[in-house]
Amino acid sequence: MTVAKNAARSSRPSHLKLRLAKLATPVSLATFIFCPLLLLLPVLFRLNGKPHANWQQFLGRFHPLVVHLPIGFLVLLPLLEIVGRKRPALREAAGFVLLLAFVSCLGAVTLGYLLAYGSGDQGATVVRHMWGGITLTIGVLFCLLTRPSWFATEVSRVYPVMLAIVLLLLAWTAHQGGSLTHGSSYLTEYLPASLQRFTMMGRTKADDGSFYARHINPIFDANCVGCHGESKVQGGLRLDSFSSLMKGGKDGRVITAGRPGDSILLQRITLPTDDKHFMPAEGHPPLHAEEIRWIGTWIEQGASPTMTSLQGISFAEALKDPPIAPVGDYSSLIVEIHQMQNGQGAKLLPVSSKPSDGLVLHTVDVASSFGDAQLAQFQKFAPYIVEVELGRTSVTDASFDTLSTFTNLRAIHLEGTAITGAKTSRLTILPHLVYINLSGTKMTKEAAADLASMKNLRHVYLFNTPAQPAPAAAPSGVAQNSAAGAKL
Amino acid sequence: MKQHPLCTDCETGADVMNMPVPANLKQEWAVLETRRNFLGRTGKVLGWAALSSLMGDRGLNHYAHAVDSPSTSRIATPEELKLPHFAPKAKRAIYLFMSGGPPQIDMLDFKPNLAALYSQDLPESIRGGQRLTGMTSAQAHFPIAPSHWSFKPYGQTGMHVSDLLPNTAQIVDELTIIKSTNTDAINHEPAIMLMNTGNMNAGKPCLGSWLSYGLGSMNDNLPTFIVLQTKLNTKENNQPVSSRLWSSGFLSSEYAGVGLRSGGDPVLYLSNPDGVDREVRRKMLDAVEELNRQTLAELGDPETNARIAQYEMAYRMQASVPELVDLSKEPQSTWDLYGEEAKQPGTFAYNCLLARRMAERGVRFTQIYKRGWDVHGDVTGILPILCRETDRGCYALVTDLKRRGLLDDTVVVWGGEFGRTVYSQGGLSKENYGRDHHPRCFTTWMAGGGTRAGIVYGETDDFSYNVVKDPVPVRDFNATILHCLGIDHNRLTYKFQGLDQKLTGTTPASVVQGLLA
Repeated sequence: MTVAKNAARSSRPSHLKLRLAKLATPVSLATFIFCPLLLLLPVLFRLNGKPHANWQQFLGRFHPLVVHLPIGFLVLLPLLEIVGRKRPALREAAGFVLLLAFVSCLGAVTLGYLLAYGSGDQGATVVRHMWGGITLTIGVLFCLLTRPSWFATEVSRVYPVMLAIVLLLLAWTAHQGGSLTHGSSYLTEYLPASLQRFTMMGRTKADDGSFYARHINPIFDANCVGCHGESKVQGGLRLDSFSSLMKGGKDGRVITAGRPGDSILLQRITLPTDDKHFMPAEGHPPLHAEEIRWIGTWIEQGASPTMTSLQGISFAEALKDPPIAPVGDYSSLIVEIHQMQNGQGAKLLPVSSKPSDGLVLHTVDVASSFGDAQLAQFQKFAPYIVEVELGRTSVTDASFDTLSTFTNLRAIHLEGTAITGAKTSRLTILPHLVYINLSGTKMTKEAAADLASMKNLRHVYLFNTPAQPAPAAAPSGVAQNSAAGAKL
Repeated sequence: MKQHPLCTDCETGADVMNMPVPANLKQEWAVLETRRNFLGRTGKVLGWAALSSLMGDRGLNHYAHAVDSPSTSRIATPEELKLPHFAPKAKRAIYLFMSGGPPQIDMLDFKPNLAALYSQDLPESIRGGQRLTGMTSAQAHFPIAPSHWSFKPYGQTGMHVSDLLPNTAQIVDELTIIKSTNTDAINHEPAIMLMNTGNMNAGKPCLGSWLSYGLGSMNDNLPTFIVLQTKLNTKENNQPVSSRLWSSGFLSSEYAGVGLRSGGDPVLYLSNPDGVDREVRRKMLDAVEELNRQTLAELGDPETNARIAQYEMAYRMQASVPELVDLSKEPQSTWDLYGEEAKQPGTFAYNCLLARRMAERGVRFTQIYKRGWDVHGDVTGILPILCRETDRGCYALVTDLKRRGLLDDTVVVWGGEFGRTVYSQGGLSKENYGRDHHPRCFTTWMAGGGTRAGIVYGETDDFSYNVVKDPVPVRDFNATILHCLGIDHNRLTYKFQGLDQKLTGTTPASVVQGLLA
């Protein structure tokens, strides 16, 4: 009240004096004491990687829920301020929303800190997220303090600038939080491949050809580093590099070289899945038996970072097909697809209920009458067809001209056709092709050699063709008991 | 349907009262009509009441549905069902069903320590108060019977396989061997029903029916689900298998398995009788179809649709089945692989060869039954015969599918309804012994279609009696097979008797990730 009276009495008060006078209210003073306290929080209660009381975790787990309140309020705020120019009532409301934003910020910071402190979280992203939250709260507080003068005069620019900074900070902090929950690659995982180059720059791991770099580290990368990595360090354990793996966590070393039985890491991943201590925790899928076997053998044979191969482990079985590349949405063509089916008899069936998985061309019902001309009619659907079943149809080498335009093809079945392979080189431009079946055709050795250049093409079948690699070992009446077996 | 002018059904027929007839006749007619009408209607009302209470919800629902649009009362197609739920690894499955319960201890579950325990009593702690079958529960002793045959390691995996299976041993690197399969039933009928339909009681659809309901056909000229039976060997203890095992239960009978006979004509009465050519047959079928469509319009029973579809399928099979079973064009390499036995219809090897030919022709699910594995006694006499009959076929099928590039998208499953006990049923001697039913663990295998090749999954204790690691109950086993074919077992359901019925039943089941590549 005295401030208002002073302002009224002096006819031309300096802006500076006015502002200082306004800041001297009890509310402001209290808040200026509060700020350093907030900033000191991480010093008073250091995040030391050790879990604390359970009640803290219980309350803390409401953080992901509560945190959306300030986000909503803060995003609403600029809208109210802008639209408020036309409709003053909204502008009045903005002050109230700002107050709510501050109170909910405080709540979210408190709960968030309880969560991190209670569960013993550590790591760069946790720290960034924490500082983001604290700074954001202070920023909102400044907004709250500067808004009245802007509201009264519209001369001061402090508030709009402050608000803009707060919003940017909000986006950054929220992203850190998202990375903690979903993992840092969540946003970019399905980025189109052409853009992915930019985000992945500088992130590829060194591959020195060792067994650890090639096979052990990728297992941890895929299954563990979400909670035991750079961004989050549960239990003080990081598995993203060899040195941190060997250093262990708060309970000491997790790997005892040469003694898989004593290695806590191996114990934890081999417990029954319903055990409290089972890893990966929180319902993440367990490691494959094969992966566990690799880790066990690697530890048994010395847990070396440089050894390139291990006894008793071969890698033929580790070759996996590349993941399915999504094709475009064909739903607009559904009517035409059905017409095609009724007219020709050959069917285009969806691979799955997800349109981006593409279509399979089935010709078995009309195999005898299906030839190159019929295949060419499907060119319209070329980008959506991922598999063609042309077994025992009357297609010829000319079909390869058509097939080479089906850019998303993953599998081609041509068994029992009159293919000789004369145009095989046309297929080499298909980047996704992993399977081709030429069994029972006239495929020549020279033509088959053309397929060798395709690096994704893992499954080539040449049974009963001139190009067949080796004559099939014919077992006698009862096969020999040799371990070599009849490999075909 | 056009009504006759004198039809007495007053609901749909013409009214005699409006006809140009003398008034006294009308009067007389009215008296008669009232009585007829009353009796007729009463009868109908009672009939409908009885029928609706007999059929429950289902009949009324279908009736209401059919009345709306008789021509669309078909059950949803896979496209409408939104299946497969995700991109599948396997497009088809071949199930080699060893009915009777193969003895895992003599075939695939190697227990080297048992030899030292010959004839000792099975420790009570292992049996753990289990209720046995009536065949051995009265036995005073449960003498341990080690396997009569020796085992050797094979392949890169070093998996031990019995000398009884020299050919299967050659393909262990292709197989996913599950030692920890276990079931809830100890007798044949409930166990075989559970394995096939997910429920011990009859009346549920089997795996093949669920697949053909969910995924539909890939070849319009052959059934989606075919069952092949292997000829009986009278020396063996042949437990019966019946069409309940390939029944479609409450699903439309379109989805039931079609059995091909093991001898003579594969399908009875499929070929046209003398003097009836294909054109005459077509005309006859057209007429029958028209009659059936009238029945459908009148009664709206979806089973009529199934009947129409089956007549059409049979007609198309007249051309497709002879081609399917014509083995004259098979190259010599086929016979080198499957053996000469495969030339005789009805042998297991022949059925395996047919299964491969069906896989090539887009049959979604083929199930081969081999009976006789119920070796309660004379194991050393009977088991070698059984293994000789099936070993080469299994090996040949997997090898053949692999070399022809079909194993990538075909999942092959081998298994029975339960295992057999480690203790001997009846007398134990160095030369012979018997084995009783054993539900707590048995060995099965899968190959191809996205399963993880060359691994052994699950472990049993030293007596092959209890599962000690990674148990695979029947429901998980079936959920995993469905997963290979792109189906989420929790989402392939059919509402019947107030429950969203599914193959894996009401006990929560899960896909066994460890079996998948």
